[in-house]
Amino acid sequence: MSLFKLFQKNTKNVINHYNNLQITAISSRKLSILPSIYDGEQDPGPKFFSSGVQALLKRLTRPDFAKVFRKRTNSNLSVLRTPKYKFLTDEELKAEMSKANQTAARLLQMPPVVKVHEPINEVLSKDPALVGYDTSKYLFTDITFGVPNEHRLIVERNPDGTLQNCDHDTRKRLNQIYFPMQGRKVREPIMFADEEKFNGLLEAEKYEYILDRACIQYEPDEPNYQKITSITYQHVDMKTNFNLLRSTRHFGPLVFYLTWHQSMDNLMLELLQSGIVREAVLLMGLRHAIHEDITNADEVNVLVPQILPTPVQLTKPETLSEEDIQMDNKCVDCIAKYITNNSAMKSQQELALQGFREDYQQLVDLSRGLKKAHGNA
Amino acid sequence: MSLKLFSLRHLFKKPICVTSNQTTLYQNNVVSNLTNFSTSSIACVNFFNKLPAEKLWKSVTSVSNAGAKKGRGKGAGRIRIRDLNRGQVIGVGKINMLWPGLSAPVIRGRELLKQQRLPDDPERMEKLIKLRDSMTKFRRLKLSPIERGWSGARMPGRSIGPPDPIGDDEFTGFDTKVLQLRSLLIMKGTLGRTRNYQAMVVTGNGQGLAGFGFGKAKEATAALRKAKNRAGKKLMHFDIYNGHTIFHDFFTAFGKSKIFVQKKNEGYGLCCHRAIKEICQAIGIKDLRAKVEGSNNLQHIVKAFFIGLLQQRTHQQLAEEKKLHLVEYKAENEYYPTVVASPSVVRTKEEIPKDETLDFIQYVMNDKVILKRKKFPRFYETMPHYDIFLKKFERYRNHEKIRLNLKVEYGEVKSFLNDKYPEEKVESEA
Amino acid sequence: MPLPPASGTGRYFVKAAKSIRLIRQGCTNRPFFHISVTHRKRLNSQPVIEQLGSYDPMPNFNNEKLVALNLERIKFWLGHGAHVSPPVAELLGLAGFFPIHPRSYMTAWRNRRTERENSEKQKEAEAAAKTADAA
Repeated sequence: MSLFKLFQKNTKNVINHYNNLQITAISSRKLSILPSIYDGEQDPGPKFFSSGVQALLKRLTRPDFAKVFRKRTNSNLSVLRTPKYKFLTDEELKAEMSKANQTAARLLQMPPVVKVHEPINEVLSKDPALVGYDTSKYLFTDITFGVPNEHRLIVERNPDGTLQNCDHDTRKRLNQIYFPMQGRKVREPIMFADEEKFNGLLEAEKYEYILDRACIQYEPDEPNYQKITSITYQHVDMKTNFNLLRSTRHFGPLVFYLTWHQSMDNLMLELLQSGIVREAVLLMGLRHAIHEDITNADEVNVLVPQILPTPVQLTKPETLSEEDIQMDNKCVDCIAKYITNNSAMKSQQELALQGFREDYQQLVDLSRGLKKAHGNA
Repeated sequence: MSLKLFSLRHLFKKPICVTSNQTTLYQNNVVSNLTNFSTSSIACVNFFNKLPAEKLWKSVTSVSNAGAKKGRGKGAGRIRIRDLNRGQVIGVGKINMLWPGLSAPVIRGRELLKQQRLPDDPERMEKLIKLRDSMTKFRRLKLSPIERGWSGARMPGRSIGPPDPIGDDEFTGFDTKVLQLRSLLIMKGTLGRTRNYQAMVVTGNGQGLAGFGFGKAKEATAALRKAKNRAGKKLMHFDIYNGHTIFHDFFTAFGKSKIFVQKKNEGYGLCCHRAIKEICQAIGIKDLRAKVEGSNNLQHIVKAFFIGLLQQRTHQQLAEEKKLHLVEYKAENEYYPTVVASPSVVRTKEEIPKDETLDFIQYVMNDKVILKRKKFPRFYETMPHYDIFLKKFERYRNHEKIRLNLKVEYGEVKSFLNDKYPEEKVESEA
Repeated sequence: MPLPPASGTGRYFVKAAKSIRLIRQGCTNRPFFHISVTHRKRLNSQPVIEQLGSYDPMPNFNNEKLVALNLERIKFWLGHGAHVSPPVAELLGLAGFFPIHPRSYMTAWRNRRTERENSEKQKEAEAAAKTADAA
């Protein structure tokens, strides 16, 4: 679809443009971000839900339990509660921890990325003899118990006598009227409807709030949802505020969005600058899984399954084992190839990689020296 | 009684007025007043100017010996002796005259002042009456709400500053609160019944250091000072969990006073006996709930609470006692299990006896359970009018929410139909 | 519970005749109807057996009239031989659940006729005005 390509091109241009400017002056309230939706011929759903991509996205989220289980103001508790205490044996503690991991998985469950829905236009019957019966439309909703919202029977009788199934907007509205979902409004909230307010929120970097609210207000296959999230993702990318969304459920869709639109080089640069080369390789793996345009795909495919079981790096390691050093060196080589062949920001990424190499060499020397001093070498 | 006073004042003034009137009459315009001149004699000596003021006042205020024994002449209706001459200056009277040499200098500058009448001061009498009235009323000592204690101007609950420095060591950051001040009556062989004062105070710096002390003396202030300084010498240190509460719930008792203390979340506040509240504030504990059962003896409550605080165990100690991990769950963190203390050796499930109390609260409370009284319905809930109210209120149950939503949507309480059929605007200025 | 619920108490006599009808809720100048099943001889102010839906006859801000129907329960009560009152039958007809009620057709036809007559009258009046102007 030409429109899709146009969007894709535009976003890419925007991002490249900003990168060249080194993200200097983005103080204007009017952002030149164009929303883009997943409306191309290719459906992102199957790729997003495939187990390989899900594993990569979950790992790239870099879940930090301190942030996942942080004190939330938007929970249903109006006041704090007295903490509870328990005496636990080792096994019980392990069981509790695994339960907590499940809770974390629930809290980090990613909102689905799917194609926008097709409009419903199904005429059930036409009765010209009913013209003039009423000047307003009749909306009939079947409120039978136990029917899910998407399968609910909702029909409309127009003033011209046609009986047809309602479109998505009406369906959503009526579902919300008869089966209200907590937090969702019948009319679009002002923070989304008013561009000024929305931009204000973006400027204030309240990305998680925007995305959380959008998850409640919209369905994932709604064009509005995809527009709002795409603008937010691009804003995050533009300001390289990835850390604000890390270890939240929105980081996966963000990475997926950036990779899908071929604009993940900014994220790659951020990863290299913060020295997390393993995740950079995972990002390459993700790009390969989506687009299959990486030149050294074999290397990446070998490295990714090795990296995935290793623990998440939340802080810089103090000592390194030989296996770690080997793996990191492999990752660095792999990234160097990626930069020369596929990257859109070669010079900057090369610089960042060089910086990492120097730092890493120091770390390696230090840890080897320590080992020698301890006599373990 | 006020009527009596008024008549008294009236009579007092009378002779003075008469004389002053006469003098002015003679001096100003004798001729014009000759028509009013009467020849009848005036008795200038009577009961009120024959006796001195002291004796007159005594006759009003004195109470007979028998009456005094019964407690008469005390309290609210008591008459007090007042100096009615207060505010009166010689040479200044009802008629505002200038008397050179009496109420004014003879020569002002180079001018010789003449005796003359000045314009009347209408507020003079009011001022005098006000001055006299101010002497009658008994003023209770009024304290600002910040200085006030638990009850009015009484000492318990009031702050009396830090203890006196010992040598060069000063008690900076300390504050002392009075918990109890009472008089004790002691029989002595020679003196009979004598009065002693006993004070109990707590002092602390709000950062874990606190102590309480008793003091006895003949005077209340001395007793307080003694107690304060003794409290300063008996400071104890208490660890505060996360800077806001105690480490765990505990049960403590002294004599027949029993206290059940519960650890609470941040922002809960101090929900306890007022003495315990003062102690907590002195220590620096911010959130806690305490229930006192049994005897309400204040000294026992204070002692029991301090003992309980001292017998607290840290999480590490508890874990070591039980040889189990101590895990904390907080609702705001989605009940993420945080290990607050781990023992050096952890028991396995098989090593734990069947009848051991594993419940944390039960363990730290020493198997004591707080009595939770059954909640009875409010007195009005069983009455027929409450039913009627509920029925009537039923139709308004959602109005508040809808008004709020309309205000969010339209900025005021109106519907989309108002654009089509606008309501007549009521003039708000009328 | 201070009042019996408007959605019905669920108490009924098995053999008594039932009727599905509109029951006016709402307040003065603001009609709102529940579609409920109740005993045929029972007043509309009395507690109903069960609520089967709702009907808001006042168009909302999108010029729509909202009707909710619990089709499963309606089918159940129809199977028990419940009588359907004409307004409810009309709504069910418009919803495509019943055949269109003849009264709906009649109303539509009458509305069209009055509209036609009104437009004709207007035309005549205009023509008359024109001739008057010409004269």
